[in-house]
Amino acid sequence: MRILLAEDDPLLGDGLRAGLRQLGFQVDWVRDGLAAERELGTGDYAAAVLDLGLPLKDGLAVLRDLRQRKIATPILVLTARDAVPDRIRGLDLGADDYVVKPVDLHELGARLRSLVRRAHGQLQDALRWGPVLLEPAARQVSLHGAAVPLSTREFDLLQVLMLNAGRVLSREQLEQQLYSWGHEVDSNAIEVHIHHLRRKLQPELIQTLRGVGYTVPRQAAPA
Amino acid sequence: MSRPQAPRSLQARLLGLLLALLFVVWLVTALMTWIDARHELDELLDSHLAQAAALLVVQQTRAEDDDVADVPMLHKYAPKVAFQVFHEGQLVMRSPNVDPTPLATINAGFSTVQRDDGSTWRVFATRGAADDVQVYVAEQDDSRSAILQAVLRSVLLPPLFALPLLALLIWWAVRRELKPLSHLSRQLKDRDGRQAQALAPLPLNQLPMEIHPVVEALNGLFQRLDQMLSAEQRFTADAAHELRTPIAAIRAQAQVAQGAGSDHAQRERALQATLAGCDRASRLVDQLLTLARLEANPGGSAAADAGRPVDLRAVAQRTAAELAPAALARQQDLALDAASAALVPGPELLIGVLLRNLLDNALRYSPTGAQITMQIDSEAGHTVLSVEDSGAGLNEPELARLGERFYRVAGQAQPGSGLGWSIVRRIAQATGAQLQLGRSERLGGLAVTVRWPTPLKP
Repeated sequence: MRILLAEDDPLLGDGLRAGLRQLGFQVDWVRDGLAAERELGTGDYAAAVLDLGLPLKDGLAVLRDLRQRKIATPILVLTARDAVPDRIRGLDLGADDYVVKPVDLHELGARLRSLVRRAHGQLQDALRWGPVLLEPAARQVSLHGAAVPLSTREFDLLQVLMLNAGRVLSREQLEQQLYSWGHEVDSNAIEVHIHHLRRKLQPELIQTLRGVGYTVPRQAAPA
Repeated sequence: MSRPQAPRSLQARLLGLLLALLFVVWLVTALMTWIDARHELDELLDSHLAQAAALLVVQQTRAEDDDVADVPMLHKYAPKVAFQVFHEGQLVMRSPNVDPTPLATINAGFSTVQRDDGSTWRVFATRGAADDVQVYVAEQDDSRSAILQAVLRSVLLPPLFALPLLALLIWWAVRRELKPLSHLSRQLKDRDGRQAQALAPLPLNQLPMEIHPVVEALNGLFQRLDQMLSAEQRFTADAAHELRTPIAAIRAQAQVAQGAGSDHAQRERALQATLAGCDRASRLVDQLLTLARLEANPGGSAAADAGRPVDLRAVAQRTAAELAPAALARQQDLALDAASAALVPGPELLIGVLLRNLLDNALRYSPTGAQITMQIDSEAGHTVLSVEDSGAGLNEPELARLGERFYRVAGQAQPGSGLGWSIVRRIAQATGAQLQLGRSERLGGLAVTVRWPTPLKP
């Protein structure tokens, strides 16, 4: 899952980026409000962690303007401003969650997963497709109850596809959702990962629409 | 020495005092009425006695009767009145309520006698023109007292009965007039210390003029308290707020170290970052405490030597020496340009903090290899310190916002809290210095000028 982190404090930003990466997130880090707004405007992020006291443009202004532009990316506000009116203002301006610093990394990860899940209309953390079960928190996939070892990329790819079950995602969309900055993407990387996933799980799990993209069909096929 | 005093109610005291005064006035009035009435009554009744005596004398000189005549009692008041008529030493006539012995010892004029039966009589004695007739007319003193009492009763009793009513009315009036006071006290009592308007000024209208100074003083106190409280609240909020980010950073980095697993390089890096976070948090705490002390006591903690002049050059040398290692580490060229000792108002502690913050800012926010100079000049009664650097400097809006608490120039890679400037500004204010920010003409970066009035040599 690709997350945008907007935090101007070097130490905290560095720590959050490293910590969220350990939890399996792809993290891009921006240090000011304008960059945060620009990046979130692309829609490539599953969710964002937004500090409010950002240089150049205040986090609340970023939030307001993004929501006015109908950009629905789940946004978790992470801030030192803990007064109730601040929280209310943040949530009313369109924040999906409001967390006061300091925060436990695991909790932050869980909250982000929850935001992404809800944004996709999922009730539970675990994603199920027929015999395939994907558990985001544990970063585990099982087939008929037996764990299937997947690489990080494979897991992320499957998660994106299962979260968007029923929707067709183009290769470019998948690449943008999977790879944070600084990663070279081979032109056929997605195809290779899809191939591996089909082999390790079930061939009919991921369907290809030639020239359009890939999808996990909404209705789970009987096991 | 002083006894513990019960709280004194103005209302009760006013009421008590007014009632006591009223009672005393009534008492004096009663006494004066008594004396006056008694005097008038005595005159009136004495004149009646005299008149009756005169009648008896006249009658006696006409009637030549040797028998002692006992005059019948004719009226219910008659026993209170008595008379005796002697003719040539012989009792010739008397009222039935007196025995034959003469009523008085004197033979002319008024006297008051005590008779054997214990009754007191007012006696008028007179003699006829021929000196052969002696007449005594007497009236029992009781009757006078009775009349007097009746008179006084009718004059003084109604006011006595009116006293409770008056008390009630006074109580009502006092209460009514003191209502603004009780209203005021209720207003104050009802104020909830936790509410924002607890220290709002009290309205002066509807209050009697006499209370205005008290309320105005109270309002002044409220205002000062409010300022102090909000400064304190702001500080607490700012402090908690500013500490959250370094603590969050420390926590995040520590968790990264914890979760690094076999990645030793990442663990090492995260631990380094954790330590850096701790250093930054403690520096922030130091700054916050300095600022808190300055705001609580602008004169500085060393108020005793507040006015003692400090040699700015010595302090500058010391500060530069302390910060030189940091400058050298970044190949920054740090220079102090001071021709002679220059005095500025103390306390020394504050001057040191100011210099350290100025210099620290210049070093911190200037790039590697930058040039930083401190210059100390004396000109026309002023000691001027300027700190200039060859960094990027600041634009106008940034200059304007500098010194706001926690304001940090955007895009700052250097860790900082934005408190340094607040501290510099407060110290400048406390030591009577003017602070000026601008662009350095020589070095192109930021130029900070602090201008103190030079104190006289001690």
